[in-house]
Amino acid sequence: MSDPSDEFGRRVADALRAKADDAPAGRPLASIARRRIRRRRQSLLAGAAAVLVAVAIGGVWQGVSGTVRENASTADSPAGSGQATEQDHVPDKPAQTAHQSTGCPASHPITVTPLRSTAITAGLDLNTPVTGLTACRYRVVKPGERHATLLIGSAAFDARQAQAVVDAIKPLPERNPDLPVFKCKPEAVEPSEAIVLRFATAAGIREIWVVYDGCADAGFFTGTKVYGLYAEPLRLFMTGAVRPSRGTYLDALPGW
Amino acid sequence: MEAAVALPETGSESPVFETWVLIHGDALLRFAYVLTGDANLAEDAVQDALTTACAKWSRIGAVDDPEAYVRRMIVNAHISWWRRFRRRESPSAEPIGANRAAPATSDGAAQRADADAVWALCATLPSKQRAAVVLRFYEDLSYAEIGRLLNCAEATARSSVHRALAALKVKLSKEGAEDV
Repeated sequence: MSDPSDEFGRRVADALRAKADDAPAGRPLASIARRRIRRRRQSLLAGAAAVLVAVAIGGVWQGVSGTVRENASTADSPAGSGQATEQDHVPDKPAQTAHQSTGCPASHPITVTPLRSTAITAGLDLNTPVTGLTACRYRVVKPGERHATLLIGSAAFDARQAQAVVDAIKPLPERNPDLPVFKCKPEAVEPSEAIVLRFATAAGIREIWVVYDGCADAGFFTGTKVYGLYAEPLRLFMTGAVRPSRGTYLDALPGW
Repeated sequence: MEAAVALPETGSESPVFETWVLIHGDALLRFAYVLTGDANLAEDAVQDALTTACAKWSRIGAVDDPEAYVRRMIVNAHISWWRRFRRRESPSAEPIGANRAAPATSDGAAQRADADAVWALCATLPSKQRAAVVLRFYEDLSYAEIGRLLNCAEATARSSVHRALAALKVKLSKEGAEDV
């Protein structure tokens, strides 16, 4: 109890005890607690179910939009070109499933500056047959900079479209002479974004990096070779979320 | 979860939650009421604490003194309310209703009037000080125990109680002088 010497403490204690009788009593506390827990669990289950449904719908939507993009890309491809006509005879491979189409890792070496094409450890040999393609558009961040999401957008393409992209890159020269040589501030040298083309091959995933921003370099990088930046191959995969609104070299690219 | 309602008390193991609440519920409500000074806040605090306790009852029910554990949860809930609403809750300079205590016409009425006055003054204390006073004089806890409960040093708990008492004394004497 209170300090014996403290008369006032005893007075406070008496007052508190007297007033405690005014407290509410006889409430069904236990049953309310049970009901709250049940409701909390139901909410959790409902939330989990909602997430599952959303994921399922997202998966189906990704599959459907992949098919739609496939058609759109066919319409975009250069009409009447011999290359396109030849490809029309290639039997269609089954469209990629939603699971296969989400082949973009959340983080990728391309997101780290300075961007070096030598970092491509599994570059694509353009003579290798490809059976699918996932284009992954990434934000490129400066050292020490942090960003919650590095992957800006992705799109999946079937075997025929993937092969069309490879075939469009293969004949390109090492550099596009129509592109200007830019001079820029050191902080603008590195690109703000770039695209990784992830091709499915018999040997696994093989990559081509596409650089179109910054002012140091532009083109298609396979790790062993560089192909100049031209509009034709870009049109085949730069669709939807993978189509950048701008880029230093894109802005100056003839035919883009 | 529902099956637990029908289960008998398990002796040495944790008591059935419903039985335990039936025995201790009203005491917890009284404690929460003295702590918060408000019937609704008291019910909310007890209900929140019991809901949490119910979810972990297999563990809480098995400890030596589940009641102390739940009381601690109530105190924590009260202090966190204070933190959440401290901008809205500020001790008033003049206790509301303290001067409206019933006139002392007999011994019982005088005690009642005194209780009302002290109660109204307690409402003007900051929540942490009030909690310290309640734990000291209503719960008969030592300063060390109060310090542990309020997450502060024993000396801090002691000074909280003494400061609160000093403030109450000053206000009571001031009111006594005004009544004359």
